[in-house]
Amino acid sequence: MPLRKSLTVAASLAVLLTTAGAGFAADTPSADPRVKFKDGERFVRDLADGLSLPRDQVCVELGKYDCNDKAFRIVLGGVEPYDMRILDPLENASLAAPIAMDRVALHACTSRVMKDIETPASAVLFKAPAGAAAARAPNKAWMDTTTITIYDRILRRPATNAEKAQMAEFYKTVSAGRSDPVAAIEKDWVTLGCFAVASSLENTFY
Amino acid sequence: MQKNYWTRRNVMAQMGAALGGSLFAGQALAQAPRAGAPAVDPKFLIVMCCSGGASLVDSFMAVPESTSANAATVNAWPDRLVQKIDGSPFTAIDYSARAIGAIPIPFTGNQSNFVKKHHADMMTVTMTGTSVNHGVAEYRSINGNAAYKGRTLQEAVATHYGAGRVIPNVHLINGVSFTDRGTDASIPSNAFGERVAAPNLWPLSLDGYKGIKDAPSRDLFEKAREFRNSRLDPNSEFAKTFASSARLDEWERLRGDPLKGVEGEDLISKLMFFPDSTEMPLSQFGLQASQLSQKVVNAFPKYKTDPLEAQAAMAFLLLRYGISVTVTFGPDLNGLLKDGASIGFSGAGGGGLKDGDLINTPVGFDFSHNDVRSAQSMMWTRALSVTDRFITLLKSEEYKDGQSYWDRSMIYFATEFGRTRNRPANAMNFGAGHDLNNGFLIISPLVNGNTVQGGVDTKTTLTYGFDPATGRPDPNRTMTEQHVYAGIVQALGVPTPGVTLPDMKSMRKGMA
Repeated sequence: MPLRKSLTVAASLAVLLTTAGAGFAADTPSADPRVKFKDGERFVRDLADGLSLPRDQVCVELGKYDCNDKAFRIVLGGVEPYDMRILDPLENASLAAPIAMDRVALHACTSRVMKDIETPASAVLFKAPAGAAAARAPNKAWMDTTTITIYDRILRRPATNAEKAQMAEFYKTVSAGRSDPVAAIEKDWVTLGCFAVASSLENTFY
Repeated sequence: MQKNYWTRRNVMAQMGAALGGSLFAGQALAQAPRAGAPAVDPKFLIVMCCSGGASLVDSFMAVPESTSANAATVNAWPDRLVQKIDGSPFTAIDYSARAIGAIPIPFTGNQSNFVKKHHADMMTVTMTGTSVNHGVAEYRSINGNAAYKGRTLQEAVATHYGAGRVIPNVHLINGVSFTDRGTDASIPSNAFGERVAAPNLWPLSLDGYKGIKDAPSRDLFEKAREFRNSRLDPNSEFAKTFASSARLDEWERLRGDPLKGVEGEDLISKLMFFPDSTEMPLSQFGLQASQLSQKVVNAFPKYKTDPLEAQAAMAFLLLRYGISVTVTFGPDLNGLLKDGASIGFSGAGGGGLKDGDLINTPVGFDFSHNDVRSAQSMMWTRALSVTDRFITLLKSEEYKDGQSYWDRSMIYFATEFGRTRNRPANAMNFGAGHDLNNGFLIISPLVNGNTVQGGVDTKTTLTYGFDPATGRPDPNRTMTEQHVYAGIVQALGVPTPGVTLPDMKSMRKGMA
């Protein structure tokens, strides 16, 4: 009897899970989307963590002013009660906010890639192909691996096949009409691919 | 910016530092409207926020003791301190003292120099408000107590004149309700105020690329943005799941034309009023100071340490470069000492604070609670000094056809309320509370200058109203926030369709 009861419960759960699973089908829009803005400090800390950059080196304007603490704190949804008496984040996104967010993302990705070039042994994103492959246009495997790393590092999830294909397509955009060495094009592709993902809606909101 | 704020927090920090060293050691070209601008030439509204109750009877409508039957017990000023300005209906108070309330900091107040220079464009308008709460009264002073569909004055001006301007309405002062958002959601989204918290660094947030070392080329950067906006985001599971989010919609909208508009104006250069320096090493990062940097820095030399001067510098550039049609700034509520000034104690290397060391009183005009006359004299002098230099800058720049920017501008000294009028018999130093009764100073070639709209009852020192058609003083009448709002928008030529506001003819130039 207990065994039959357990089987019944298990079967019911299986049905429920199957039904529930259907509710999470891909591309089903939320009927009640409650999206929150990832404010500047959270954004910077996530990038520091994901790109293995010290928090105070993620984004520094003019070599002196931390992007979130000093330069764009209020623009990016922060508060400053002591001197400015700003007690609440801006209720509506400021005109400058997406621009400032782009700056932070570009700063962070450029810093990461430059560090990768300086110390290839501990590279995080830009692991340039070695040997004979270095002189050739990158192959799909290298691009996929790099794309997977970017997505994993920034969005904490694997890139889908479609996203890998998109990024590979973007390489053509970056390389179009250029006679620069392959390494320079690869560097730009990694930097800008990182930038695009870092400043994407998925990484800006939660 | 290194500011010598004199807040409790700051003083405590200084005290802490003093334990290990010196005691209380002090910290311390251009274009007219851009291409694509509307055919309508704008008029500019500058809101000078006077937080804490800037009182007319302690400035331009002062009552000399000799004229008041109750001089000893109301806020009538000693005759010797009330300057009568020739050729104008205004008074001015030139009051200096060795202390402000219980704080032993000497100061020199002077209102007369300003009135002598600008009385032809000055107009005082009496008003009795509806709130003595700072936030509520501040808000009502800029929305006329919901006079016009809930739009603030700045929003009304930005809506009418702001088309074609990338950031028509900019708020440079923080922590006050003079910059609160209005309630009319139907106006263009860029007519709502854009917050500028740090004028020196804000221009950096107006370009996503310039000044970032080692970044790929601009062209590629723009292609990466395009890739993100057109491919990566639309195809992401996240964007599909939250497709109906208004927040995401707004973000995507801002990343479109508004972003292109802002970056297309090269505001990161035009508005960078800090010169290339060790503090702001612009050239090291491929950036440059504004062509007008030297001019504004000369006008506002304390731009590094005084937030008001930095705000004024940025405000001028916003108007001059055709970016904005209304700017809002003013003294904030933090006590501020001159750069390098230290409180000091005898025997500890300090000699106390000297005249001129106090730049801003703690809580601005509201320090009147402690000592109304000193606070009003000090803060009016401060606001008028910056205003004088701001007007001088506007007069020095041609808008077009021989007209200067000043010829099309109005400065509205917004404030919450007045101060209570009673005083201990014959006291010179006394505190005053909030009083609904007061009025406003407006300076502009567009208004009926050199006039006092209304009057003062010398027995009580309370203000009274006027006939909106003729401006004739009327002791039996009081004006409301709505009257003042109407007078301002009408003088600026801003229509108010769908709402019938009182016709404030007497406030407009050449009408009364």
